Amino acid sequence: MSYVGEHTWIGDLGRLMVALSFVWATFSSVAYALHLRRPQSHWLATARWSFRLHALAVVGIVAVLFVAIWNHWFEFDYVWRHSSTDLPLRYIFSCFWEGQEGSFLLWTFWQAVLGWILIHKSHEWEAGVMLTVAAVQAFLSSMLLGVYVFGIKLGSSPFVLIRDLPENLGLPWTQMADYLTSFPAFQEGNGLNPLLQNWWMTIHPPTLFLGFALTVVPFAYAVAGLLTRRYSDWVKPALSWTFAGVAVLGVGILMGGAWAYEALSFGGFWAWDPVENASLVPWLTLVAAGHLMMVEKHKHSATGITLFMALFTFWLVLYSTFLTRSGVLGDSSVHSFVDLGLSGQLLVYLLFFVVGTAALLAIRWKSFPKNATDELLGSREFWMFIGSITLLLSALQIAFSTSLPVFNKMIGPDGWIPLLGDALAPPTNANEHYNRLQMPFAIVVSVLMAVGPFLVWRSNSPLFWKRILPAAAGSVVLGGLIAWGMTIQHPVHVVLLMVSLFSALANVDLWLRLWRGNSRHLGMTTAHVGFALVLLGSLISQGKKEFLSVNKSFIHKDFPANENSVLELKDTVSMVPYWVTWTGERSEGQNHYYDLTFMEKRGDTAFTLSPFIQMNERMGNVPEPDTRHFWNRDVYTHVTFADLRDVPDSAQWKRPLEVTLKAGEEAIVYDNFILHCDTLEVRDAVFTTDGSNIKRLNMALQLRLVAMDGSEEALLPIYSLAGDQLTQTDAVAERSGVKARFASVETEEGRFKIQLWRRSEEDQPFILIQAIAFPWINLLWLGSVLMGLGSALAVVQRVQRDREKAKKASV
Amino acid sequence: MKRNHLLGLIVLAVLAGVFLATFQDASTYQTFPTAEGQMGEECVVIGTLDLNDSITFNKDKMLLRFTAVDKDGNSRTVYYNKPKPTDFERSEEITLTGFATDTAFVTTNILMKCPSKYKEKEKLQQT
Repeated sequence: MSYVGEHTWIGDLGRLMVALSFVWATFSSVAYALHLRRPQSHWLATARWSFRLHALAVVGIVAVLFVAIWNHWFEFDYVWRHSSTDLPLRYIFSCFWEGQEGSFLLWTFWQAVLGWILIHKSHEWEAGVMLTVAAVQAFLSSMLLGVYVFGIKLGSSPFVLIRDLPENLGLPWTQMADYLTSFPAFQEGNGLNPLLQNWWMTIHPPTLFLGFALTVVPFAYAVAGLLTRRYSDWVKPALSWTFAGVAVLGVGILMGGAWAYEALSFGGFWAWDPVENASLVPWLTLVAAGHLMMVEKHKHSATGITLFMALFTFWLVLYSTFLTRSGVLGDSSVHSFVDLGLSGQLLVYLLFFVVGTAALLAIRWKSFPKNATDELLGSREFWMFIGSITLLLSALQIAFSTSLPVFNKMIGPDGWIPLLGDALAPPTNANEHYNRLQMPFAIVVSVLMAVGPFLVWRSNSPLFWKRILPAAAGSVVLGGLIAWGMTIQHPVHVVLLMVSLFSALANVDLWLRLWRGNSRHLGMTTAHVGFALVLLGSLISQGKKEFLSVNKSFIHKDFPANENSVLELKDTVSMVPYWVTWTGERSEGQNHYYDLTFMEKRGDTAFTLSPFIQMNERMGNVPEPDTRHFWNRDVYTHVTFADLRDVPDSAQWKRPLEVTLKAGEEAIVYDNFILHCDTLEVRDAVFTTDGSNIKRLNMALQLRLVAMDGSEEALLPIYSLAGDQLTQTDAVAERSGVKARFASVETEEGRFKIQLWRRSEEDQPFILIQAIAFPWINLLWLGSVLMGLGSALAVVQRVQRDREKAKKASV
Repeated sequence: MKRNHLLGLIVLAVLAGVFLATFQDASTYQTFPTAEGQMGEECVVIGTLDLNDSITFNKDKMLLRFTAVDKDGNSRTVYYNKPKPTDFERSEEITLTGFATDTAFVTTNILMKCPSKYKEKEKLQQT
């Protein structure tokens, strides 16, 4: 049977490309291994060409998947699941990498690009390095195979047709040739998760995965160094790659933070979520590896630990992949991937490289050159070594806490060896847990970041204390002033404040005063200052974040007052230092906006924020924040509760009341208000010629509703008569929620009958919002930019220097 | 003793401290009855929302009251002092972090799992 409207050929093409990319990568790895074993053999050219073919096949897979998404071919499960026709063009890329298969593909793509470059740039190291890169590529490609071998699922293909999904096999509609056109469900895809429909999500994943991909380079060089027994030499060519990885991965992680801050409603940029941790941990060890490599390059004294750190970073990348994609995190993470049933394969992938390279490291360990003497206590290499170990410990702490679900699998009550009585759950207050344990590491790293550059290689520096004194004194004074000014009281916070300032000041001071602004050191200085500012910005913006919205009602002593304010429509609420009014709501596209006006109580600043709820029938409703950026602080708001049902107007008015008043009289209504009847305003009165009957009459009654606090609202209900036709136009006092109708005139006494309604409490529309001030958060973003630019500059300068050296050497 | 050995010892000590602190901070997965056996102690209960019972939210007190059923089928009244989560009624599983008291379970954080993703496909299977 041939199905109508299907594009199976492109799926077949995609699968073919996947198979080819897997085969060529495997072949290339083996060929490089054979060449490494016997350099005289002719395997090198074969290895190169097969890797290039592999890379082209990967590009082919990317192209095929992209074409399918672009054309909305919803017969493919991946396309159906991650895209829809109403999606703006700029988010097409995000659909591509929303799912597991797509993000594996993105990773494979970057590594293929890096491999291609390495073939040209790694020269004498090519075989050793490429053998590992190609092997990693083979494993990654196998994740996309989607075939069953002896009943075991190998990989998950992005080119599966919905009718071929196991859960759909045998269903009657899969036998219909025209199923694509006859079911409306196939006309539109499931769509992209609304949270990912954000500009950051277009650039964050590619950056992050390029960062992950770059960690394979120092890993491959380290393996090559071990294989060829050149335990120190591999460091030099790998150094630039490592710091490129530091820059790209670091920026990628912070982009994720920027996205979370802008699009997610947890009120911050970092939540210590397992998925965030999974990218932070390898970054920390990559930084450690980079610095150890510099020690090794200058002193050849850290051979074993440098090799270990380069290998360990990549192990952590594999472990992170396993954690976030195997479904083991389950309940503990909001946004890990769905389990595709690949956990076995992921585990094999992880163990293959970890066990293989760990064994290699262990076998070679004995033959590493041994140092007869300790490093000098005052030398740069010693303290750089200490700094790297601190980073490693910090990474291990995060990795350990994040791995609690893994421990459950191993030693929990249902695990392999049931040691624990109860299954472990993540710490109930993740922020508090991680911040408390990570701050000491951050303090040590900050101090070393300030001190390290002042020290010199291979000897004590007698001028050290004299040179560092100004920055140290300056940061203690400045830090003290800031802590006093911002009332930062926690001793650990004060120390971190001072040392991160120290780190920034010392690096600037060193560069300006001692290195006299030499551009050679600009990259390193900028990167260090940037990282110090990231720490400083995080500390102040998180440590001193201030909830403007506070609900003071007391529930119970164990229940803290919470950080949400009730806002009724048009009501003004005090959120120090602002008056906040919910002025209205509106819908644009699938977003429902709530307009909030902020007016400074003492000052002229006024602004409107419009946090919104994205109404997405397929994905559920998602609240998204809105933030006002000032140079020294951000005001961040999001809607924490909104009743999304529409209440019809008539249903709101309850408790009818009737009062009869003369002009100048008043009455107490609804316990809380005084209704004044001021004057009758006759706008138009035309009588029939004999004067007995009314032809036309238009009157308005001027009323004033005075609330308990003395505030007034004017009401002007209108009574209008044309012949026999009576029209009554009601007036509404919005703030008080009272509606008035001019019911009739009792002519004899000159009294007016007024009907009143009160808007019922339950139906009074309200929203709950959270408003948070983040002081100095711009320091964090400034630091991120500086760190990225600085590391990038350092890499570029290093590459240029190496090139010049090579040129000189060849002349 | 060489300085490197001393360093190694310090590293091991820090690691041990860190691991101990992590285990201390970790909470545990419980059911309602076992949570009641350790009243006031923070734990995590996974369950579902009982839609047959009323879900009330008092905005002025900022108090949400609902009934949850844990994995063993025990149902308890739960109090939550934060705004009612969006689409709360649609959740198919809720993870409650909190502690038991003698009258109700008090939760400080709710994580929800929503089924929306594959809804349309299910519809298709029924046709």
